Amino acid sequence: MAILHIEKLGGLANFGGAHARIRSRGQFDTEALSARELQAVDSLFDSPSVSQTPVVADGFRFRISRITAVGTETVEVPESRVPQALASCVKDEFV
Amino acid sequence: MKEHNIERNTQTTTSKSHEKRCGICTCFIVPSSVLERFASDKKLTDDERKCFADASKFEKEWRKARIAHANFSRSAQSILPSLATAGVAAVPPAILVDNCAHGTTLPGTPVPSPGTSADVTAKRAFVETTEVAKFYQAVFGRNSVDNAGMRLLSSIHYSVKYNNAFWNGNQMTYGDGDGNIFVDFTKSNDVIGHELTHGVTQFSAGLAYANQAGGLNESMSDVFGSMFRQWRASQDVTRADWLIGKEIMGPGAIARGFACLRDMSNPAASHCMAPQPTKFPQYHDGMDPHESSGIPNFAFYKAAIAIGGKSWEKAGKIWYQALTGFAPSPNMKMSVFAKRTRTLAASLFPTQPAVKIAVDKAWTAVGL
Repeated sequence: MAILHIEKLGGLANFGGAHARIRSRGQFDTEALSARELQAVDSLFDSPSVSQTPVVADGFRFRISRITAVGTETVEVPESRVPQALASCVKDEFV
Repeated sequence: MKEHNIERNTQTTTSKSHEKRCGICTCFIVPSSVLERFASDKKLTDDERKCFADASKFEKEWRKARIAHANFSRSAQSILPSLATAGVAAVPPAILVDNCAHGTTLPGTPVPSPGTSADVTAKRAFVETTEVAKFYQAVFGRNSVDNAGMRLLSSIHYSVKYNNAFWNGNQMTYGDGDGNIFVDFTKSNDVIGHELTHGVTQFSAGLAYANQAGGLNESMSDVFGSMFRQWRASQDVTRADWLIGKEIMGPGAIARGFACLRDMSNPAASHCMAPQPTKFPQYHDGMDPHESSGIPNFAFYKAAIAIGGKSWEKAGKIWYQALTGFAPSPNMKMSVFAKRTRTLAASLFPTQPAVKIAVDKAWTAVGL
């Protein structure tokens, strides 16, 4: 089990952009995930090469990080691949 | 209209029956490799593995259909002008609105008669999408986003307090906003024009969504979204506010001094929720398209202001031809687009050298 650090990026308003005045971040304990959701999270880290380019114009991307024995792993994936429980843990806020 | 209904029913049935069988995956986005891996994952049940196997097959067929649609659209673009010349009127696109009812399954449930719906969001999505279709037809002679009468589907009330709108390659989707940072994303008609223009770009230049092409892709949506807003209000370039997303600012955003998402007349302004660069030397690969789009946005604004009048009459026609009048160019550089508009300014307005000078100066001012 691990704590996932999650940031929602992009969208029409460019959340988390270099100069953007809004961002959306949160944390999630994987202990709260079902076996299927946990497997979906693992698949995100197992296939980072397919996650670089969003195919949905103005779609959100999620940057997800976890600490493992070998260090911090980070992936960036489109919203459609993120389990709902993770996607809903972020909070939109002004910077 | 009957044909459009048949098309809609077929698509809805396909989508719904697939969802029924496969409620745990999102077919259009998850890569085949991932679906195939789940399809052979022994940790899953037989039903789940079959579901992912079906999804993988569906995903491949859908991608084939999308490529075929793009090819069909290009064929139509070469044929339809001759039909128009012969006096054959194009059938306007069907305008459809579906309600997600705060869920995330697309497209949602069809809204009957959205143009007279008591749901103001449904009515607004219908009316403004209809007007965007009229704008493209009246100003540019384009029949829907694919120039072949593709039906225009909007899904509203997507998710819960969802702060976004997007184009997924087939349709528009609008969130209601959280009521603080943003309100209903259908409230700014430039946002509706923005999302639909992603469709136009997809079926014309086919611009990618990263690096310089990504910035151009986003800029086309802002440029034609703002142009549509000005066309709706019959504004000339001096009366236009050039703001993107003014009406979706929520009370919390307004209280903090934000007037818009972006301002094409002043992309770096502090009243923008997402300020942008204004000169090409500030660009770097990897920059979000919503950031790098500030450079071509500012060029369009400067060109339109220098030309004067209504933005869609000259500057808009030049930009439209640069976007749609060439073979697809997914990885186009901004300098290539700038060169196209300089050339087109001279060829489309040969007796008005001031137009070419205005376009040339606009790009030079942003470093291109």
